[in-house]
Formats: sequence, C-alpha cells, structure tokens
Amino acid sequence: MELVDKIIKGERAAIAKAITLVESSKDTDQQISRELISELIKKPGKSIRVGFSGPPGVGKSTFIESFGSYLVSQNYKLGILAIDPSSQITGGSILGDKTRMVEISKNPNTFIRSTPSRGTLGGISMGTREASIILDAAGYDFIFIETVGVGQSEIVASNLVDIFTLIVGPGSGDELQGIKKGITEYADIFIVNKNDGELKMEASKTAADYKSALSYYKKLDALEKQVLLVSAIEQTGMEDVIKTINQIIDQNKLKGIFDERRADQLEYWIEEEVKNIIASDITKRLTSKGNIPKYSEKVMKNEMSMYEAVETITKDTLKQ
Amino acid sequence: MTNKSNNGFNTWQKSFEKETKKNFSDAKSETDEGIDIKPVYTRDDLENFSFVENNSLPGQWPYTRGPKASMYTNRPWTIRQYAGFSTAEESNEFYKKNLESGQKGLSVAFDLPTHRGYDSDDDLVMGDVGKAGVAIDTVEDMKILFNNIPLDQMSVSMTMNGAVLPVLASFIVAGEEQGVDKSLLSGTIQNDILKEFMVRNTYIYPPEPSMKIVADIIEFTSKEMPKFNSISISGYHMQEAGADNVLELAYTLADGMEYVRAAMSKGLDVDDFAPRLSFFFAIGTDFFMEIAKLRAARTLWAKIMKNFGAKNERSLILRTHCQTSGVSLTEKDPYNNIIRTSYEALSAILGGTQSLHTNSFDEAIALPTDESARIARNTQLILQNETGVTKTVDPLAGSYFVENLTEELSKKAWDIITEIEELGGMTKAVKAGIPKLKIEESATKKQAKVDSGSRVVVGVNKYKNPKEPSVDVRVIDNNRVRDDQIKKIQAIKKSRDTKAVEKALTNLTNAAKDETNLLIPCIEAIKLRATVGEVSKALEQVYGRHFAKSLSVSGVYGKHFEGDEEFMKVESKIKEFENLNGRRPRVLVVKMGQDGHDRGAKIVATSFADMGFDVDMGPLFQSPKDVAKDAIENDVHAIGVSTLAAGHKTLVPELMKGLKEIDPKSKIIVFVGGIIPEQDYEFLYENNVSAIFGPGSNIIESAEKVIDLISDNLSKE
Ligand code: B12
Ligand SMILES: Nc1nc2c(ncn2[C@@H]2O[C@H](COP(=O)(O)OP(=O)(O)OP(=O)(O)O)[C@@H](O)[C@H]2O)c(=O)[nH]1
Ligand SMILES: [Mg+2]
Repeated sequence: MELVDKIIKGERAAIAKAITLVESSKDTDQQISRELISELIKKPGKSIRVGFSGPPGVGKSTFIESFGSYLVSQNYKLGILAIDPSSQITGGSILGDKTRMVEISKNPNTFIRSTPSRGTLGGISMGTREASIILDAAGYDFIFIETVGVGQSEIVASNLVDIFTLIVGPGSGDELQGIKKGITEYADIFIVNKNDGELKMEASKTAADYKSALSYYKKLDALEKQVLLVSAIEQTGMEDVIKTINQIIDQNKLKGIFDERRADQLEYWIEEEVKNIIASDITKRLTSKGNIPKYSEKVMKNEMSMYEAVETITKDTLKQ
Repeated sequence: MTNKSNNGFNTWQKSFEKETKKNFSDAKSETDEGIDIKPVYTRDDLENFSFVENNSLPGQWPYTRGPKASMYTNRPWTIRQYAGFSTAEESNEFYKKNLESGQKGLSVAFDLPTHRGYDSDDDLVMGDVGKAGVAIDTVEDMKILFNNIPLDQMSVSMTMNGAVLPVLASFIVAGEEQGVDKSLLSGTIQNDILKEFMVRNTYIYPPEPSMKIVADIIEFTSKEMPKFNSISISGYHMQEAGADNVLELAYTLADGMEYVRAAMSKGLDVDDFAPRLSFFFAIGTDFFMEIAKLRAARTLWAKIMKNFGAKNERSLILRTHCQTSGVSLTEKDPYNNIIRTSYEALSAILGGTQSLHTNSFDEAIALPTDESARIARNTQLILQNETGVTKTVDPLAGSYFVENLTEELSKKAWDIITEIEELGGMTKAVKAGIPKLKIEESATKKQAKVDSGSRVVVGVNKYKNPKEPSVDVRVIDNNRVRDDQIKKIQAIKKSRDTKAVEKALTNLTNAAKDETNLLIPCIEAIKLRATVGEVSKALEQVYGRHFAKSLSVSGVYGKHFEGDEEFMKVESKIKEFENLNGRRPRVLVVKMGQDGHDRGAKIVATSFADMGFDVDMGPLFQSPKDVAKDAIENDVHAIGVSTLAAGHKTLVPELMKGLKEIDPKSKIIVFVGGIIPEQDYEFLYENNVSAIFGPGSNIIESAEKVIDLISDNLSKE
C-alpha cells in the first residue's frame, strides 16, 4: 500500500488521511483501514503510549502543552490524540484544544489531532486505538492520549496505553472516598495540577491525601503508585513527570509487565471487538425478525409473561 | 395622586387597546438587555428609585445630569476623531489637515505590531505593519507624528494598552525633545488592560504583571503629569464585541473598581488619582438606551467612589469619551451609515459625553478616506453649530421614560457588579473567562436576530439597494510602509550608543523583577533610542507572553432557529454528507497575524457547529504556516480565514503556500470572511480562494455555500 510507505516515512498528510480512515463510519473506509492496520502492525515503531485522563477543566490540555514543550525541547517526537469532549448530542463540535496547545502545535516534531468524542463510552472515539498504531508506525517517540475522565472511561482509556495518568486538581481529595480499587489499578501516576499561586497549599494537601489513600491499595509486584505535583501554567514539575514515566517503563520492561500489559490489552480489545460484532449482528437479526413487537403485544394482552417472551425471543434469535 | 388610579390613564389604556387590538400588559418589547419597554411611561414610573434622584442638578450628586453645571452651554464637547495609518509622516499630515478643518483633539490609532510590542521588522508581523494604524518603532517616529503640533497646547489621546510602557515613554520623551515638560502634557492613555483580555486582544503579558503596569502608570502620572488622564476605562470595545448595554456598563465599572484597588495597593490615596480616571463608551443604535446608559454610568460611579472613601468631589465624577458604533455600520448600501452615525452622535450628546468620535461611512470597508473622514467630522460640526443641542443642559431630564430607563439600567448593572465583586473582582472573572463568554453569547444572539430577520438592518436583510454604490477606499501598501520603517530602525540602531541601550534594557529587565515603577527605566531606554519591540521583549523575559485559551458558547445560535426551514435544510445536507463520507464536514476557522477581531470568527464557529459542522477553532495570532500544519494534521475539508485588519493580501497567499509545502496535493479548500474591499476579490480568487463572505453575510446561507463547495470539491476526486 502506498499509504503505508508514506506513513512510515512520516508524511504528515498521509498520517492525517489514515487517521480519517480509521475514524470513518463508512464501510469502504473501514475495509481499507483494516488492511492498513494489518500492514502497519508488521512495522511497529517504538512509541510509548501515555494516557492523560481527568475531569473537565483540570488542565489536561494545558499540561500537555507544558509537558510536551519540555519533551520536544529534548528532541523527542510527540504525537497527540486529543479526544474533545465538547461535542453536542445533536450538531457538530467545536474543537478548541489547539487554543491550549499553541506552542507545541507549531513544533515540527509534533502531530496533534483532535477528535470529537460524539458521546461514545468513556470519550474514547472510534479509531483511537488504530490512530495510535498509525502514529507508532510513523515514528513518534511518545503518543499522548487525552481523554476526559468520567465514570467508566478510565478503564477504556487505560487499555490504550502503556502508562495511564490521572490528572486531578487541588481540592479533589474529597473525592477520594469515591476512588475505589478500580482506578488505583488502572492509573500508574497521579498528577496534582495547578500547584501554583493561591492554590499551592491546597495542592500539596491534595497530593498528601492521595498518597495516604493510595498506600492502602498497594499491588503486589507493581511499582508504588506515584503522586506528583505540577503546575502546567508555570511549567514546574515537568522533569519529575518524565523521570517517573521513564522509571515505570524501565521497571515494567525489566519485569515483563510492559509486554504482559500489551498482551492483556490485546485480549481486552479482541473481546470488545468480538462483543461488538456479535451485538450488532444480534441487533440486526432482532429487528429483521420483528419478534420484539410481536411478543410484547402478547405480553400486553397477558397471553404470556415477560420472562417467557424473553426466553422465546432469545432462543429464536440465537437459532442459526 | 398617581396616574394609574386616575381616569385619564384608564381612558388612554382603552384607546390604546382598541387601536392596537392588544392587551396593554402584553404590549411590551424586550430589549437586548432584557428590559421590557412599555408603550407609554407616566409619572408613576418616576417612583421607587434606588439610584436615580429625581430632583438632582447637573454637576451635583449623583451627577446623573452631567459632570459639570454648565455642560455644552459653556463649551461644546470635544470633537476627537480616532485616526492613524501607515507611517508617522503620513499620519502627521492627516492630523494637521483635520485640525485645520475644525477637529479639536487628537486621538492616535497605532498599528497592530505596535500594540502587541513588535517592531516593524519582526517576521511575525509581516502582514500588519501600518495597516490598521500608524507604525511607531522608536521615539523618532513619535516625534515625527507630532511634528508641528505643539504638545503643550494639543490634548492627545492614545489608544494603547499592551505596549503602554514604551509608547507612553516615547510620548513623554517626544514632548521633552519638543521642549515641553511632562507636567504640561495633556491627554489620555487608554491603559485599560482588563478589556484587552476580554475583547480587544492586544495584550502582551499575563493578567497579573499587566495589572501591575497599569498601576505603575497611574502612580507615575498622578505624581508627574497632573493634566494627563492615566487611564480610559473602556466599555466601548465590549459593545463592539457584542455586549448589550447592561454588560457594557457593569463590566466597565467593575473594571474601574479593579483599577482603583490596584492604584490604592501602591499606597496612593484614592483622591490622589481618581480625578484623572476617565471612561470610554460605545453609542449604538438603541437611541434612548444609550442616553440612559451614560446617565446611569455617572450615577453608579459616584456611588462606587463614595464607597471607596473618596472625599474630593472630582473623584466622584465620571467623565467620558464616546464613539459611535462601528459594528452598527454596514458594508451594504454604505451611505446609510452617515444617517446611523448622526443618530448615534445625537444620542451621545443627549447623554452628556465630554468628547466624541463619529465613524465614517466606509467603516465596514476600510480605514476612512480623507473624504469620508470629513463627512464624519462634519456630522459633529453640524450638531454643534446648527441644531441647538448645546443650548440646554441634559434636556431629557424629567422624561418619564428616560429617567425610568436610567434607573432600570443602573439596577441591572449593579446586580452584575455585585456578583463580580462576590466572585473576587474583575481580574479573577477575566482570568476565568466568564465575561468574555457572556459577551460572545450576547453577540451570537444578536447575529441570530439579524440572520433570522427578526431584527431589521436596512440595506442588509431588508430594503436592499438593487444598485450598490461603489466607493473609493484608502489603500495602504504595507510592504512599502514596512520597508520605510525597517530603514528607519536600521539607521537608528547604527547611530545610537548600543552599549548604553543594552544596559538600559538590562536595567529594565531587572526592574521587572521587583516593585520598581517600570515607566522610569522605560523612559531611560527610550531616550537612548531603544525600540518599542526591544523594551517589550526586555519585560517579556520576566513576565512571559500571554496566550489566551478560548472557550466557546454552544447552542445559542441554533436555539434561535428551532423549526426554521433554512436552518434545517443545512442540517440535513450535513447529515447526508456524513452518511456519504463517513464523517461530518470539518472546517478550521482561523485568525492569522496580529488581527485580534475575533467576534466574527467565534460567531461563525459556534453557528456552524450548531448546524452540524465539526469546527476546529484555531488560537489568535497564528502564522499561515502554523495554520497549514493544523489543517493538514486534522485533515479538515476547508479552512475559513476570518480577516478584518487588512492583512489578507499578504497572509492568504502565504497560507496557500504553506499548505502546498506540507502536502503538494492538498485538496483543502480555503474561504475568507471579514473586511475585504471589493477591489481585492479578484486577487483572492486568483489565489485559489473558493469563496468570500463579507460583513453582513447571513451565516446560514454562508454555511450552505460552504457545505456545497466542500461536496463539489470531494466529488472532483
Ligand atoms: C467590532 C470591531 C472591533 C472590536 C473587535 C471586538 C472583537 N473581539 O472582535 C474592537 C472595538 C475591539 C476593535 C478594535 C480595533 N479595530 Co475594529 N472593527 C470592528 C468593526 C466595527 C466590526 C467587526 C465585527 O465584529 N463585525 C461583526 C461580525 C459578526 O462581523 P464580521 O467579522 O465581518 O463577520 C461576518 C462576515 O464578515 C463573515 N465572516 C467573517 N469571518 C468569517 C469566517 C468564516 C469561516 C465565514 C464563513 C464567514 C466569515 O460572516 C460574519 C457574519 O456575517 C469593524 C468595522 C465593521 N463594521 O465591520 C472594525 C474594523 C475591522 N476595525 C478596524 C481597526 C483598524 C481596529 C483596530 C486595529 C484599531 C486600532 N488601530 O487600534 C483595533 C484593534 C483590534 C485588534 N486587536 O485587532 C478596521 C480595520 C481596517 C481595515 N481592515 O482596513 C475596521 C474595518 C474599521 C475601520 N474601517 O476602520 N474593532
Ligand atoms: N492555576 C492553574 N490553572 C491551570 C493550570 N493548568 C490549567 N489551568 C487552567 O485550567 C483551565 C482548564 O485548562 P484545560 O487545559 O483546558 O483543561 P482540560 O482538562 O484540558 O479541559 P477539557 O479538555 O475541557 O476537559 C484553564 O483555565 C487553564 O488556564 C495550572 O497549572 N495552574
Ligand atoms: Mg482539553
């Protein structure tokens, strides 16, 4: 494929077109993108994928601008996939991430793509995983994935990356009660942002709260969860972040966790994909057979119970 | 006895209802401010006031009726036309001609590079030099600007905020070298940075250091320049950006309070500086509302300053400059603008302004020509000399309607001011971006009203002129201006004492690290012929440059068009497009160069998104190269360039080049919106621009054209 060569050469327009293909809802585009991805995974790059998640407005984009500037100044190549939460249910989206990433977006060693989330689960859009495969093949050292953290989304987002980072704001310590085992398993690093000006005290306190809360959930062989204090606006704490990322990556590689994780993620995505295909297949069958209105009418007329109806429909639908 | 209980009113009400076939209680019209205007006002409407005092007199508490007892009966308002373009030499000629023709005060418009602290030779400002104002790089330019204009006699107003330190320093040094001591200089420096972060967009440093600079200037002028207004607290730009009158009034006064606090934090007594605070408001087309606004502003400010503990009466009095509204003026059928401006000017006068700028009829096309500027000036000369409006002070006092409106506006504004104060003041609110967003929301509503036809704009959405007149435009050759400026800079850099300049700049950088008043080391550097750009950079080293993050309103435009056929037609075209192409049409809306007019871009972006486009919003001040990178990485179908400050002939070809450099086969189409004189259309089309949307374009129609063009372009593949 010509596109593959261009991507591997790092041609900006080709990378962009390829991402459009993997995000496209058109059948023919999806066909091409499947072929494309099968080709690209044969030529893997060496990227480290880092996820940045957190509540709206906590400073994810600002942090990426700051941290990204630091990385490109160290000559790293940086790909950024920003999943923009601002989409409306109807209507299109206003994608404003770039107004918060002014400096790095100018840099020739970055590639920044915003994607409207369209309300999909966890704000991960269709194609984010594939887009990171494309950037990997194109030779980016780091791939950042920015997602809004709400509810279930961390689980999805964390399955896309080698290191998952949760960015929180000063004062968010109160929400710690809500932090269940789940999130501590998925997140490797907790970054308390806005450690500046009047917010400094509060930020330190929040970091301390996180540290003590996390100490309960120590996992056996994994590295201790890290809590870092930064100010995206004042660009402080950036060295700590890269140091911690590198440390975790090195450790994980050494202990085999790095590959294990990628393997687990693969299982996750295969399962998801299979479920998706089955679900959409079943949905198609359900509608084409017209069982639901038929049996619901029977239930309405008290001819059968709802459970009987469910059982009958299920059997009929799964019948080949 | 009140009116309502009297028989006369009942009879009137019956007649009214019979004539209109409406209930009196339903016969209200709501203004943009959310004020219900009744068809008639009576003496009852003068009651229960908490701000306006019914029997007050001009020049007396609470100053509703004017800052002075005699007002125009003694001396008419000052005709002060805002102007500046190209080089200092050309602007100086223009000023002298205007002064000979009856203008009384000067008001300098600087170009955008100067505003943003860049010298004319900076690569970042290639398209902007001398285009939208006069280019000032060094004190030599400033001296040329006032050549043969004696600065001890002429009051000079300068619209400068971002680069306020080097520019005010240059003015002071220019005076000195003309033989005029700074204590004799009279005039005003705008020095209002908060509204820059909200709407005007010529900031340089982040909010905190910027506020410190404002306070430094207030401190210096209050001690050294007794005849000079240290600040012009401006609501004008807010209204031009789309604020309704309540927002304009409230935010302006809240800004004023913030400046008072900043100055007091330097240890100044409020009466030391408050008499030299001045204001600036816009006067739009809502005739009585604008009159009421000026009266309300004075009333509220007196109260605010009393709360600050001001003892000197002059501290309580709000003095203001006004400018008729530019945004009310249209590109279509432009002679209508003369009429609009006349009414607005009358409104400003009845509201009691101290000085006035009237816009030229070619406002929505380009900078004024000599001819259009003459008509604008004559609008005021006719008011002063022929209409008799100067003979009575505050002639509308006692009007049931105007007094009631003054009270209503005061109340509404006061509520917002109280809210902001509770939030911790305007600096905080501005940093959080709330006022900007509110103004954009208001602007979007206004656009929806015009696009839907519920608000009539003569010659634009109704009563169109079948034979549009073509008008002459002022053309500025920015490449020539830039070359001239660069030559001057080079000559100065050769002849000055480089070592001394460097030392002065280092001093300045060091001063920025502590509490020193920065104007003092600035004056030193400027005297030695440091440039405006060098001085700005010396401070930038400590403060950094501010990048605004932009928030967007959403759903405001679409809400106005629920069930509208044209709107739904575009929506369904977009759905069709999505089904066919696997994604929505995606458009990148951009501002390039130093042009900070973002009202149109923001409105177009939010409206397009409401119709179903995916819209990428670029930051301000992008270079064409950066835009090309953004567009290609996001694989947008089209780029919409919004350009109002006349940089299009330089910037658009650069963008085309940038796209081809990254992707020689790029299929991204480019269209352009904003201020484009008809004379430039062909040039843009020759440079492969697909469509041009000028002022007054209906956004729904524009959107339809854009989606059609994108579809056509894709089907060509
Ligand atoms: C409002 C305004 C301002 C506001 C801007 C507020 C803001 N945040 O935007 C304020 C008061 C701050 C301002 C300041 C200045 N202004 Co001004 N301003 C105007 C004014 C009066 C109206 C512009 C406007 O917002 N119209 C309303 C919007 C909705 O319309 P629009 O932008 O034209 O957009 C419509 C179409 O053009 C089209 N469109 C536009 N963009 C796009 C994009 C796409 C994708 C599409 C599809 C369509 C589209 O659709 C829109 C809807 O109809 C114009 C004159 C005029 N009447 O047009 C002068 C004008 C643009 N300003 C001018 C100048 C010189 C300045 C200053 C530089 C003055 C100075 N020297 O200090 C400053 C600096 C501003 C800066 N930072 O750049 C000049 C520019 C001269 C020139 N081009 O030759 C003008 C033309 C006035 C004049 N004749 O002198 N200004
Ligand atoms: N004080 C302080 N404010 C910050 C910092 N980082 C970001 N902010 C502010 O927080 C706000 C939100 O920043 P963004 O970067 O847009 O946040 P985000 O998490 O990407 O937001 P969404 O993408 O909308 O979810 C902005 O007003 C920033 O200026 C910081 O380090 N300190
Ligand atoms: Mg973000």
